[in-house]
Amino acid sequence: MKVELIYAPGCAECITSKAGLRSAAEATLAGVEWTEINVLDALDYAVELGVLTLPALAIDGSLVFAALPTPAQLRDELLRRACHD
Amino acid sequence: MLTIGKLAAAGEISPDALRYYESEGLLVPTTRTASGYRLYGEDALRRVRFIQHAQACGFTLAEIRELLQLRQTDSACCNDVRQRAIEKRLQLAVKIRSMQSMSAALDRLIAECADGSQSVDDCPILAALEQIDGGTEPAR
Repeated sequence: MKVELIYAPGCAECITSKAGLRSAAEATLAGVEWTEINVLDALDYAVELGVLTLPALAIDGSLVFAALPTPAQLRDELLRRACHD
Repeated sequence: MLTIGKLAAAGEISPDALRYYESEGLLVPTTRTASGYRLYGEDALRRVRFIQHAQACGFTLAEIRELLQLRQTDSACCNDVRQRAIEKRLQLAVKIRSMQSMSAALDRLIAECADGSQSVDDCPILAALEQIDGGTEPAR
């Protein structure tokens, strides 16, 4: 599963939250692909995903969290998706 | 001190717009005369210009209020402002895509109506717009 964190450079919230989110994702599912995307490098992709506020989190190419989730919310979402696969 | 008329003239804006800015919490008169007329300080014109420039970049008045508040927040930094600018840029990109899509739909309709001498009853543009499914594919 692919998890993408779309962030604006200098975003304080991202810096404080991303380590916890990444650990939660990697601990929940083996083989999670974690990517951090600077929105300024991928504006068109962010628009395609429907990102309107930052930071945001996409899973497998779909915008799932328009605002950053807690690690527990991310874990629940990953497990829900894994069960449906 | 500037009266509302003088500030309006200097900012090339109407006095009504200045009163509206006030009602939106964007520009408060420094004081009022004994008769109740608004008087503005020297920084008012700068603020009017700030509001106008931000509006020209697509920010709503509510968003401009946030930007002005950020300026007065000690813990805020330029990154906070930049994040709002990036989010506005994303919103504009979505609008541009939507308008491009509308434009393409109109192009298809215009192309379908090659014979402009047809009666209005047979107009394919009107027929397409009447389609129940809301699509803009021309009627066949």
